[in-house]
Amino acid sequence: MTWLAVPLLALGVAAIRLGGMFVAGPVLQRHPLLIRLSSLIPVAVVAALVTQLGFLSGGSFVVDERAVGLLAAAILVWRRAPFPVIIVAAAAVTALVRLF
Amino acid sequence: MTTSRVQGVSSSPVVSVSQYLTLAFSYFTVGVTVSVTLVERDVDPWLILAAGLFVHSATSELAHVAVIDAGGPLLAGVASGWLVAARFGVLAASLEPRLRSSTPWWHRAGIAANAFDPNTALALNQSDNRDVRRAFWWVTSALVLGWWVGSITGVLLGNVLHDAKSIGLDVVFPAALLAVIGGQLRSRSGLVTALISGGLLILSLPYLPAGAPILVAVFGAAAGALWPNRPSARDNDDQDPVRRPGTTRDDIR
Repeated sequence: MTWLAVPLLALGVAAIRLGGMFVAGPVLQRHPLLIRLSSLIPVAVVAALVTQLGFLSGGSFVVDERAVGLLAAAILVWRRAPFPVIIVAAAAVTALVRLF
Repeated sequence: MTTSRVQGVSSSPVVSVSQYLTLAFSYFTVGVTVSVTLVERDVDPWLILAAGLFVHSATSELAHVAVIDAGGPLLAGVASGWLVAARFGVLAASLEPRLRSSTPWWHRAGIAANAFDPNTALALNQSDNRDVRRAFWWVTSALVLGWWVGSITGVLLGNVLHDAKSIGLDVVFPAALLAVIGGQLRSRSGLVTALISGGLLILSLPYLPAGAPILVAVFGAAAGALWPNRPSARDNDDQDPVRRPGTTRDDIR
């Protein structure tokens, strides 16, 4: 992250939030498909990021210790565990697998 | 608008003390997670705090960093940060009908600029429109307080932790992101979106320049949105907060 990235991110994120309130709020209510699409875009990006961070190494697909930690996290997310529990468990499981 | 409530009742607390502390603690962890992630990448501590204050979206910060990590150019990183913030636009849009008639535009702008999952969910859960703003700002204060203390703690902690990999800190980053979309993965459209997007990333990786596969993966959202809804499905489909107020997870952003 650089000093140039922060203002760019900040302006874009603020514009999206204000756009939601003043533009999308009144309009989107009438277009359910658009609402679905805009709430799924973050799911798409985040899923791709999780794939990249959890399963890629040097540009190729690998399943290593990270996958075990992420599996633990996924189970806890499914069980609706609180955020701090998910984070600590993911790190702890990964660290333990690395020990052996 | 239901204004039949007794005046005294609406001044009762909209957020309990334990709820307040739980929310603050969750965002404290978010703040720690982001700061530690950034310290690990040798980002200037002041820049870390400035990003928390001005970007005001941990997911955007993490999404940006993930693309830069993969060797993507600045603009691809920024675009990825913007795309994950689409969620906040939807949250702000879902608050709009509850505020339209009662709240001046500058106050609505302030609320929009601070829209996160927990404060929006709890605000929308209020039955009385007059309580919407109060619930929103109470929760917001808990989130911002926790986040700030967490961001500073994370900067200090990050400088102490060495060999982050041996204690599994590299997985904290994807695990935090997974938790963010956890609520939506329960819906069929969310799950389809996630699987197709992850697949698109892996398939496009060998053929595209760094940073681009993440942006290609956005098209998974179109597949998820068009995926047929089956009312008899085991899970509740359509967890979007606009039509189903209060269904967002209330402890993460």
